[in-house]
Amino acid sequence: MSITPRQPGWTRAGIYCLYGVAFAFALSIATRAGLSYDPLVDGESVLRIALLGVPFFFLVGLGLFTYWFRWAAGAPTIPEDHSGHGAKSWKSYLYPNTDHKVIGIQYVVTSFFFMFVGGLMAMLIRAELAAPGRQFVDANTYNGLFSVHASLLIFLFIIPVFAGLANYVLPLMIGAPDMAFPRLNALSFWLLPVAGTMMIASFFAPGGSFASGWTAYAPLSTSAPIGQEFFTIGVQFAGASSIATALNFLVTIITMRAPGMSFFRMPLLVWANFSTSLLVVIATPFVAASQFFVLLDRSLGFNFFDAGQGGDVLMYQHVFWFYSHPAVYIMMLPGFGIVSEILAVKSRKPVFGYRMMAFSLLAIVVLGFTVWAHHMFVSGMQSWIRVPMMVTTAIIAVPTGIKIFSWLATMWHGVLKLDTPMLFTLGFLTMFVLGGISGVMLAMIPLTIHVSDTYFIVAHIHYVLFGGSLFTIFAGVYFWFPKMTGRMYDERLGKLHFWMTFIFFNATFAPMHLIGVQGMPRRVADYAEQFATWNLVISLAAFGTGISTLIFAYNMIASWRGGPRATGNPWRSLTLEWQVTSPPPVFNFDEIPTVVGGPYEYGVPGAVHGVFGGSGTTAEPTQEPAESAGTPST
Amino acid sequence: MDAALPVTGTTTHEEHHGPPEANRSSRVDPQMLGMLLFIISEIMVFGAFFTAYFFVRIVGDNPWPAEGTELPKLIAGINTAILLSSSLTLHWAQTSVKNGNRRGLKVGMLTTFLLGATFLLVQINEYVNIGFAPSDHAQGSIFYGLTGLHGAHVFIGLILLAIVTVRAFRGHFSEKEHAGLEIPGIYWHFVDVMWVVVYTSVYIV
Amino acid sequence: MEQRRGGRNSRRMVVEMFVLGTIASLIGIAIGLAIDWFPEAASTQAGPIDTLWDVLVIVSVPIFVGVTIIVIYAARLFRERPGEEGLDGPPIHGNTKLEVIWTTIPAILLLALCTYAFVVLRDIEEAPASAAGPELRVAVRGEQFAWTYTYAGSDGKKVSTTRLFLPKGRSVDFDVTGKDVIHDFWVPAFRMKVDAVPGITTGYRVTPTRLGTFPVVCAELCGLGHAYMRSEAEVMEPAAFDAWLAKESEESNAPAGGEAEGGDGATASADGKTIFTDGTDNGALGCGSCHQLADAGTAEGIGPNLDEVLPGQTAEEIEASIVDPEAKITPGKPAGVMPGNYGDVLSPAELEAVVTYLSDSTKK
Ligand code: HEA
Ligand code: HEA
Ligand code: HEC
Ligand code: CUA
Ligand SMILES: [Cu+2]
Repeated sequence: MSITPRQPGWTRAGIYCLYGVAFAFALSIATRAGLSYDPLVDGESVLRIALLGVPFFFLVGLGLFTYWFRWAAGAPTIPEDHSGHGAKSWKSYLYPNTDHKVIGIQYVVTSFFFMFVGGLMAMLIRAELAAPGRQFVDANTYNGLFSVHASLLIFLFIIPVFAGLANYVLPLMIGAPDMAFPRLNALSFWLLPVAGTMMIASFFAPGGSFASGWTAYAPLSTSAPIGQEFFTIGVQFAGASSIATALNFLVTIITMRAPGMSFFRMPLLVWANFSTSLLVVIATPFVAASQFFVLLDRSLGFNFFDAGQGGDVLMYQHVFWFYSHPAVYIMMLPGFGIVSEILAVKSRKPVFGYRMMAFSLLAIVVLGFTVWAHHMFVSGMQSWIRVPMMVTTAIIAVPTGIKIFSWLATMWHGVLKLDTPMLFTLGFLTMFVLGGISGVMLAMIPLTIHVSDTYFIVAHIHYVLFGGSLFTIFAGVYFWFPKMTGRMYDERLGKLHFWMTFIFFNATFAPMHLIGVQGMPRRVADYAEQFATWNLVISLAAFGTGISTLIFAYNMIASWRGGPRATGNPWRSLTLEWQVTSPPPVFNFDEIPTVVGGPYEYGVPGAVHGVFGGSGTTAEPTQEPAESAGTPST
Repeated sequence: MDAALPVTGTTTHEEHHGPPEANRSSRVDPQMLGMLLFIISEIMVFGAFFTAYFFVRIVGDNPWPAEGTELPKLIAGINTAILLSSSLTLHWAQTSVKNGNRRGLKVGMLTTFLLGATFLLVQINEYVNIGFAPSDHAQGSIFYGLTGLHGAHVFIGLILLAIVTVRAFRGHFSEKEHAGLEIPGIYWHFVDVMWVVVYTSVYIV
Repeated sequence: MEQRRGGRNSRRMVVEMFVLGTIASLIGIAIGLAIDWFPEAASTQAGPIDTLWDVLVIVSVPIFVGVTIIVIYAARLFRERPGEEGLDGPPIHGNTKLEVIWTTIPAILLLALCTYAFVVLRDIEEAPASAAGPELRVAVRGEQFAWTYTYAGSDGKKVSTTRLFLPKGRSVDFDVTGKDVIHDFWVPAFRMKVDAVPGITTGYRVTPTRLGTFPVVCAELCGLGHAYMRSEAEVMEPAAFDAWLAKESEESNAPAGGEAEGGDGATASADGKTIFTDGTDNGALGCGSCHQLADAGTAEGIGPNLDEVLPGQTAEEIEASIVDPEAKITPGKPAGVMPGNYGDVLSPAELEAVVTYLSDSTKK
């Protein structure tokens, strides 16, 4: 089939991008002419409008709005004929698609791409810090590197990769044929490449990339060169994507569960994504607003953060952290869900204290909104806020502890299969506890006064985000790899990946606790001579972490292309996604299953979670290798 | 080549059967639920702007409105009434369609739209004549920030109303099928209620 | 599915685990306390904070060791062995008593820690009752990228310096503000820090206990020169301090520091002096944040003193140094600090204005 430029697709998207640029020029010049500004052509204002506008032109060009445009114009909409479902070859992944399984894979692959880019930046950071003095980047580029590193890994890796995994498995788990709003789902995905490209492209902006950290505190961000706006605007797109996905998850979970699946029969991954989505819907608008403020201050001369005009500098931090503290749980709760799934299956035991596991998630959601100012203990805010925030912050460790202890109890007396997903899960248990404990230490105000903004914080960040979130992501990717690709991954390489990661991760980030307490500030391109030895050690270990990640990449690509075929249910799991072929049929189920019991009844003789056909026959794991759509033809 | 979206897809698929009907596990209509959740996040956006307002006015203890400026309470009050009455006409349009009164639907939608547009125009006129700019002082920033954010919502609401109106004139909606009217309607009511909050805190208090 | 019959001899294992865990915790605590974590302590505030740290280490190590040892033992004891494929564990769904225990104990522990931390917080923030002499107030101002300290000298004069001098044993109260963006005033040896925020005054107090010089570090990202915004604090004997202050107040008339008058009314876009002191609206940093220049009234910073290095240079040379700072690095000054983006962010007219201003004002 040939593509004509008028058909939605990449060609049209490209052409529309040019339209977008032309639009930016036209609008900027027209406005400046109207207000009789001089000069008429202002590069910065054109760039700013282009950043905001071109993405929409691009998305329209790709065809993401076609349906809604027809609907809005009152024209007859073409009824869904489902021909776009499923992937026919790897090329299908390059186009918008409304199948949640295709979108799930698009999400995971794209976010891992950004993980590699962000990781590469970490390698540059570590190379620069390997010795005191300047190695090869100047201060401006260095500040840009860690800012883009963190922004990519947070907004374009951890948050979306969880959304991607859930996109794939969650509808299957609850026995739904798709998500509630498939077109919105496609749109949410396509906002991500837009946001990510924008952030990476900031390095080409005049004056360099955004360099005020992922926190972009005003007034540093309001006085920075134009590169800052690649963050300010990029975050809007990433945030819009998360909100749309969260709405979709909530509606899907509430309205599309299979018959018999009451809330307390939902797998904990579903619970986790339910809680996360609540956090996203409530908190993410705050980060959007914080960046609106910055944008208004920068582009229209507003004074939100101009102390000389009555603006309030600390207001930025309150608004930002009111999102970004809940955001750290947005980056952790889905991982808790993954861990619950894997531990139950791999220990062959029901999850210990299922109800408490669900309630503790909700408790974390609620408490998560009451602790934001623990990031501001040394910010000079009203001092009375600190102590209540210290108490709530410390108390969050209680529901988290309930989860940790319940997982330990789940393993006890089980039959543990120590394969790669399980190893990463166990690695998560120990490393996250370490990161959590350093978090509790940070809650203690007098200590934070000393260690805030030092490498102790950097250590905490990476223990919770890498040892916590990333370990669960690795576990989840290995665990659902057979389901998503229809192939098995290489177990030996997987174990090698785990052990290398585990060792080098600790060698990289554990010493940071020490140099932090000793007095090395974070976000510095250069440091005092006394920290030289440890920094060299850290840098070498970081390169090891980098190499271990390459093993993972190799394993995934090679196994996807040529791994042995996977059966429908290689892990003997009870949850619904494993009761269909690998990969699942185009429409997930020929018939919606009926749920008759809890999801984790391992060890209960004859227990089943869902039955198919309503005939009462148990859903036997399908054994034949899958040949259906979704397998990339190589 | 695979086409982009199913809507425009030209390929045909071997198996022509569609997906199985999803089970409805809740009585809430999915679209309605989606809109309600969206409104929650919209409220939070306003919440963030009110946080800014709170910090500048209460924490920063700046005079409100800024010295030497005055807010046109009365005109804005009339404008409030205009916006609120648009909620009523919208409600009338909705009731009409449920009773099969197509004329009521069309007239109701059109008046609603015009009332909303009037509100926006009055607001723009206020900006032109108010005598201070967002760059003058933080109070100005917050004033324009809050009312502008609300104005942007009115604008989005107007687009939705325009869509509904066009569809109404094209003969869409019936006694049974009026979700496409109901859901944008909730949004419009939300925009109205939000204005009352903005008006009270910015102009009155 | 079939269950595994008869576990390992787990009671003995639990005892073993417990003993091992205790030993490992003790070793961990010993190591944690033996490590020399903190920089040298030079204030009365340091003591309580360092003790708090020790307590946190003592509490944390057993929690981490406990979780880790359970993971290791579970993996050891309950690993699937050959021939056990297809077996299941016992269907234990929960145990209310256990769940209550592991909810309440951490909760109590955490509340206790919070109470203790609160007490420490009060200790370090209160004005000491038995201070030697009245409290000393020092105004600290952070700007890109230097600190200025202002003291009330004798007969109402203000004394400003870029190096912090403090008397030993006397409580000092800092009033901290920021001029341009947020900085953070941190003396690791004192253990205290607080942000220097434009528009508000923050602060803390310390009582120095040790003579010597200690690093002052800016701990909040404040832009390009953040990494280099380091200076020193010198703690002296009270008598020496008083003498120093008296001497300084005699000499001082104008406050030192980056305060400078703007340009002479010309438009900002082409006025070299304004650009030098204040930068431009689109993000070009004022040169004065880093360079000393008598004509502009800027103080010593991390860049070379332009009064010293520029005389004798041609306008072309100066322009080259601005557009491409890396081309020629002034000996003894850090490379990569001076922004390399002036060629981009300054318009040709602005650049020319700066160059002309510099060559004029440094011509002998
Ligand atoms: C996945 C992300 C994630 C998670 C889950 C957490 C979890 C926690 N974080 Fe962390 N945090 C970050 C990501 C995260 N954090 C990031 C990115 C920053 C830096 C931002 C920046 O400035 O750039 C940060 C910064 C940060 C600060 C600010 C430091 C500063 O800048 O001065 C504080 C202070 O209170 C803090 C505390 C905590 C606490 C108390 C938890 C708790 O939720 C942890 C709870 C878990 C446990 C405690 C372990 C398990 C529990 C038990 C085994 C029970 C028994 C335990 C005890 C009795 C102690 N974090
Ligand atoms: C999920 C989040 C996440 C993850 C996974 C990482 C991963 C890593 N981070 Fe990052 N980091 C953050 C989130 C994260 N970080 C955040 C939020 C900050 C705070 C930023 C701020 O202050 O604003 C931060 C800051 C931060 C700093 C502090 C910078 C500073 O304050 O000056 C450092 C310094 O060492 C660092 C290092 C690393 C390293 C070595 C890795 C490694 O684990 C990365 C490993 C992965 C790869 C390397 C990619 C795969 C490999 C290749 C692409 C091939 C190349 C291989 C070789 C050259 C060997 N990070
Ligand atoms: C962030 C700090 C910083 C800022 C801002 C800064 N400089 Fe510099 N500048 C330095 C440093 C450090 C050096 C010495 C290293 C080098 O030569 O690159 C330097 C060197 C120079 C030199 C070369 C001096 C010589 O030895 O010949 C000139 C000229 C100069 N700067 C002018 C300027 C001008 C003009 C501006 C503003 C438009 C400016 N600088 C802004 C830090 C800065
Ligand atoms: Cu000043 Cu960092
Ligand atoms: Cu937090």
